[in-house]
Amino acid sequence: MRELLRSRPFGFALLLSLALLAANVIAEPSFGKPDNWPQELASFAPLAIVAMASTPSILSGGGGIDLSVGPLVIFCNVLLIHKFFPHGLESGWAAVPLILLIGAAVGAINGVLVTKLRYQPVIATLCTFFILIGLNLKFGASPRPAPAGNWTTHLGDKVWFFPGALITILVPALVWLVLSRTAYHRQLYAVGGNQSTAFSAGVDVTATRIVAYALGGLFAAIGGIALTALVQSSQAASSAQYTLIALAGVALGGTVLGGGRGGLLGSALGAFAIYLMQTLLSAVNVPPTWNSVVYGGMLVAGVVVGAWLMTQRPALRRAAA
Amino acid sequence: MSAAAATIGRVQRRAPLLQFVALIALFIYGAASISGFSASTSIRSMLVLASLLGLAALGQTIVMIVGGLDLSIPGFIVAGAILISQLCGTHHWSFVPAFALILVIAAAMGATSGWICHRYRIQPLIVTLGMGALASGGCLAWTGAKLTGAAPAFLSNLTSASGTTFGLAVSPVVVIWAVVAILAGVVLHRTTAGRRLYATGANPRAADLARVNTSRVWTVVFAASAVCSAIVGVLLAGFSGADQTLGDPYLFQGLTAVIVGGTTIMGARGDYTHTVLGALILTELTTILVGHGYDTADQQIIFGVLILIVVAGYGRDRRLRDTI
Repeated sequence: MRELLRSRPFGFALLLSLALLAANVIAEPSFGKPDNWPQELASFAPLAIVAMASTPSILSGGGGIDLSVGPLVIFCNVLLIHKFFPHGLESGWAAVPLILLIGAAVGAINGVLVTKLRYQPVIATLCTFFILIGLNLKFGASPRPAPAGNWTTHLGDKVWFFPGALITILVPALVWLVLSRTAYHRQLYAVGGNQSTAFSAGVDVTATRIVAYALGGLFAAIGGIALTALVQSSQAASSAQYTLIALAGVALGGTVLGGGRGGLLGSALGAFAIYLMQTLLSAVNVPPTWNSVVYGGMLVAGVVVGAWLMTQRPALRRAAA
Repeated sequence: MSAAAATIGRVQRRAPLLQFVALIALFIYGAASISGFSASTSIRSMLVLASLLGLAALGQTIVMIVGGLDLSIPGFIVAGAILISQLCGTHHWSFVPAFALILVIAAAMGATSGWICHRYRIQPLIVTLGMGALASGGCLAWTGAKLTGAAPAFLSNLTSASGTTFGLAVSPVVVIWAVVAILAGVVLHRTTAGRRLYATGANPRAADLARVNTSRVWTVVFAASAVCSAIVGVLLAGFSGADQTLGDPYLFQGLTAVIVGGTTIMGARGDYTHTVLGALILTELTTILVGHGYDTADQQIIFGVLILIVVAGYGRDRRLRDTI
């Protein structure tokens, strides 16, 4: 059991998710009905994708972290609603590539700030965080609904028979799967594990990191599309809230914040556990005022139990850095 | 030129020289471009805002010195504000027992975070996130989200910009901040306890081998951070009234104050004097931006760009090829 968890860092999130899934189905039998899956997946998708978007920058090590993914998701949402739809960019075929490009570009800017300009990742992405929130408030000052019947509505419901949200969740996962067959994947983990060693071994640390941040930006843009599909309006006011929950998902999913260990699947599972926690609370009629108590308690208890399962001998006398 | 740069670099390593220059330059710019900026009323209200921000960033500073990150600050601020308002306002406790209870609760919860992080080697980010949610959520659940009480009146005087301290035309909270800053400086640099913090942050394993009880360091540091945040919450209850979103601005702004001041997230570098300057710089910036009529959106953008510029002066990492 413990061996399994050690070799598969996302195992804890998986077990927690399965337990919570069972609890959800028991508490609210309609939760498991396939008819409800598209809606459930649609409300889960933004959470999962933001958690995935935070992962590559953390994996790239060197204190790497991208605080700006949350505001970037909202930025793409605001751009879609306030800039694209009213100005004739109604077709998804034109809007999707453009929004993905913008997301990747913002991510790449973060990457350049961190590598070429040598800012600490927390500072660089905190600045992007502020700038994006400012832009969101500027463009989306007055919340606006999306036009009826636009292309994102399908992603919030079904594309033919397929839950649309599953597409938005699967795209980042597929990108990651393809990458894991390439040298880039190994370089990323090498850089995250020990940048000096990777540098000495001839890995282009700078390029690897910039691509990691750009990937995060790309995924965040997909998250923006998924969020728009779900809420069908602009959400400038909620710019700050996704970052922390995404980081919680990443940490629950077994990705080490120091870099070099973990992966996208774990983050998605971590986000899934958080999402199931939320639905379970509303299913068993816990008053909303208790939400954050239960959420905080489960977060702390969850990581403690996970760590306890994973440590065989008494914890090494070393601080969690 | 390079000799001058080397000299600046040498001084900068010992004292936050560039931050000080930035502070003065911003003040001169503000005084020249905004009428009334250098008036005593404006300076006094800036000092009150800076002292609240600075006190909220004290906990983050010491946590970052030992190599952690505390996301529970807004949670404990909200908890402190709600508890003092409810206990004193609605349940008619007198101030001292209510305040003592708040300190005990915050210390216990903060200590738990620190101990868990150290014992199970969990990233402090996630434990403090959960603990902060527990603290603020617990208070909200207790009150049923109906905040009826008000903080004791003398708290409002403590944080009033026009307040006086023993006849001096300085608000009491600013005096408290100054005393705290001096104490923090002495503790961090002149006591064994301070040395233990830096040793733990620089290399926890080496610190352990040097017989520093790093578990106790982490427990105490996180407890202290929670207590600081709760005290800021109590002060804020008098300043602006309790509210469940009261603490939110202080997480990222406090972090910014610490970072702009020059304490690094990697641990063992910087001290509270740096953070004091960081809080003053940030408050000046905000005041200047408001004075020039920028709205919140513009402020956020300019804020972001300016932090990049300020930090470019002194806070960047070494080139990777220079670290091998």
